[in-house]
Amino acid sequence: MEQLLEMLSPHFLLRNALYAGLIVGFVCPQVGIFFVLRRMILLGIALPQVSNAGITFAFLLCTVGWHFFPHIESEKAMALTGSVVFTLIAIFALAILERKRKGFTENRIGFTYALAGAASILFVSWNPYGQTEVLSLLRGEIVSIPDIYLWSMFAIYGTIFICLVGFHRNFVLVSYDTDMAITLGKRVNLWDILLYLIIGIVISFGVMTVGPLVIFGFLLIPAITARMVTRGILPFCIVSSAIGAAASFIGFYISYRFDLPTGPTDIAILCIILVLLYLGKILIRLKR
Amino acid sequence: MNTDNCITLENVAIGYNGKVLLKDINLSIKAGEFIVLFGPNGSGKTTLFKTILRIIPPIQGAIIYGDGQPTRFGYVPQRQYLDEIYPFMAEEVVLMGTFGQVRPFCPTPKTNRVWIEQCLKDVGMLDMRKKLFSELSGGQKQRILIARALATRPNILLLDEPITGVDILAQKMIMELISQLHKKHHLTIMMVTHEIYNIPKWIDKIIWIQDNKVLIGTTVEMLSPLKTDETLHREPV
Repeated sequence: MEQLLEMLSPHFLLRNALYAGLIVGFVCPQVGIFFVLRRMILLGIALPQVSNAGITFAFLLCTVGWHFFPHIESEKAMALTGSVVFTLIAIFALAILERKRKGFTENRIGFTYALAGAASILFVSWNPYGQTEVLSLLRGEIVSIPDIYLWSMFAIYGTIFICLVGFHRNFVLVSYDTDMAITLGKRVNLWDILLYLIIGIVISFGVMTVGPLVIFGFLLIPAITARMVTRGILPFCIVSSAIGAAASFIGFYISYRFDLPTGPTDIAILCIILVLLYLGKILIRLKR
Repeated sequence: MNTDNCITLENVAIGYNGKVLLKDINLSIKAGEFIVLFGPNGSGKTTLFKTILRIIPPIQGAIIYGDGQPTRFGYVPQRQYLDEIYPFMAEEVVLMGTFGQVRPFCPTPKTNRVWIEQCLKDVGMLDMRKKLFSELSGGQKQRILIARALATRPNILLLDEPITGVDILAQKMIMELISQLHKKHHLTIMMVTHEIYNIPKWIDKIIWIQDNKVLIGTTVEMLSPLKTDETLHREPV
């Protein structure tokens, strides 16, 4: 209880990490619902890995002396740029190949995942100075988040959330029934590009903050859980975000209380919520 | 051009990725007509249907829309192409029909909610509105999709195989419903089917696709035993 009160205090030392986790937990499931509904779950595994490869590549460039940004936090800015560039290139390349129906989707995503995973490890191994930071990112240890980064994250995720809510009807229609969307005069390609752009930015920023594993978890598990227990698209969206935010808060508390890495704890909590709700659903069905 | 025509195809060639499937298509559809687009599986009827709907661009020729008012399509797709992973309630599916009328960031106007209630009532599904779309039977899903098409306030209703894969009772109900809507709303209707026994006698025209040819005529002309036999057993071109 003491730790919980301490966490809620405005002077809490790790408050930025807590807030960042809550933002990720709340916004990522809103993007994740499109991964689940469009049956792109595998892409949800591959893209964070691609983003991670972008980050490790940027760290490598920093180590060898390439600095694009004359800034105090130049490593972080370059890492973010690497993450965004790699993720957007991958998502648009995969989307174009999907549209042209070249080969099988699973093969392409599997290849991307393997390539990105291998590239991440190679970039890290060539970069002895960046290893500690990159490895802590991979493990999902959300500890030190500077104010400026938290605020920029709040601004970006906030804008994305507003876009997802405001354009919800179009994103859902284009995802569910493309032909119907065309007959209603919607510009399907434009909405698809915007959605992919949002996915790319959410993943890039998220991976920088909490690591690829945690982002994958927050993208998919809340949406899968909410899909299981809700009726209607609106409850589905609300419950997804509620589960993500709750898991982030509980996970942070447990990791702080028992000195565990935050990211994996968050994922464990998400999985526990999923299993509990699944069992609850079975019990209700049996009682009927 | 006849101004009564709401859709006119002039020397149209259709297909995918530049590959021509059907060519030299010349036909016109008058406002208020009920037309059946008939042909065996793979004959190109869905491609023609989607070309008319502006989903696929024609490879050649021109499609002219208009009978004095703007063309609004009410599109009823094949229900099996809609993924059941989406947790939509029946009324949410119908509400999609109004998405063309609402701007982003604006809440759904109350008038639209009243309108979709009317559409649900028209297809006899008002009491099922809170049910999950994925939990409905084939016939019920079809009626919800028809309600969604009506929600777009269409002047042309286009239905892709609306009675395929549903039981005989549901087939009869859907055909009666489509006929009622045709009369009540004075809609131009185009329905795709690949089953000859699903074609009602009272329709205005049949567009028959067989062996890369598009034939058009009245029910009497096209469904006379001699003509049917001749068309079905003709040597492939």
